[in-house]
Amino acid sequence: MSTSERLSEQPLTLRQREFEWDFKKGVEGYECWDEIVIGKSAEAQNTFEVRVEDILAFNRSCLETDAASNDPNDPVPHPLFLVMVSFYCIGTGIGSWIRTPGARNPGQRIEMFEDFRPGEVITATITHYDKWIRRDKHYMMDLIELRNQNGVLKARWYVQLLLPPTRDLIAQFANA
Amino acid sequence: MTESISFSELSIGDEFPSITVEVTQDVIDVAALAHLDFNPVHTDIDWAERAQVFGTPKTVAHGMFTMSGMTSLVTRHWRDRGAVIVGIEAKLTRPVPVGTSVTTTGRIKELHPRTPGEHVVVVGVEAIDQDGHTVGVGDVRVRLAG
Repeated sequence: MSTSERLSEQPLTLRQREFEWDFKKGVEGYECWDEIVIGKSAEAQNTFEVRVEDILAFNRSCLETDAASNDPNDPVPHPLFLVMVSFYCIGTGIGSWIRTPGARNPGQRIEMFEDFRPGEVITATITHYDKWIRRDKHYMMDLIELRNQNGVLKARWYVQLLLPPTRDLIAQFANA
Repeated sequence: MTESISFSELSIGDEFPSITVEVTQDVIDVAALAHLDFNPVHTDIDWAERAQVFGTPKTVAHGMFTMSGMTSLVTRHWRDRGAVIVGIEAKLTRPVPVGTSVTTTGRIKELHPRTPGEHVVVVGVEAIDQDGHTVGVGDVRVRLAG
């Protein structure tokens, strides 16, 4: 059974059905560690309208079984719901290095200011915050700031990964 | 909502009930769909075997799934009592291959007295696998209503 066939067996939201499931596709367009300019900042490719089904899907993935997390009308979002929001907003635009095959997650820092609510439209501002080399590993960090349609700051995510640093290495992983 | 947590009743070292999760491919797939993170190291079984990004032929769980367990540890016991997660910082120290059993524990590490409704508690959390290896450690910052 292929990966997409297996994933298709899960209950899917509209957003999940429409999102690209294969991050190996289009890697040539992803940002690459050795080309990223620290300090560059821009709005992310997509905005995210929060839907009840998004929150329910995320809560389910966290194995939450309580009534508040599974309320079919007004579920309380899991604190890390911003992960879905961020991956959707980034898409293949600024910050696309987070999709890199061969990347490893060394840990994260997140600040939450307010729960996401159904009906909000979230915009992400992405800033290339830092990159560094330590013990021959190449680290990349962006600051993701998520605001609603009224400009209210909902969360900040200092997202970091260890990356294959060159296009050749990314291609090697993508084609493994 | 049940009675709010009283900051004055908390002590350094107070423990939370642990959470144990069996990381199956189904659990990873549901997480991939929820995170919209389809890195093949999580979802592509054949690719993971060839690429061995973490030195294992198996797919691995999302680091954010491990971190979600760290925050769930607190919300499952405190959210109905007026606690709000305001931050998490974690280090992920080992990969979590499919088939791993992960247990997350936590205890109060810091107490930050503020004005009522603004008190902050830092819960130190740790995720370990079935062999006792630490796969992640972190701090969850919580603001209390009481």
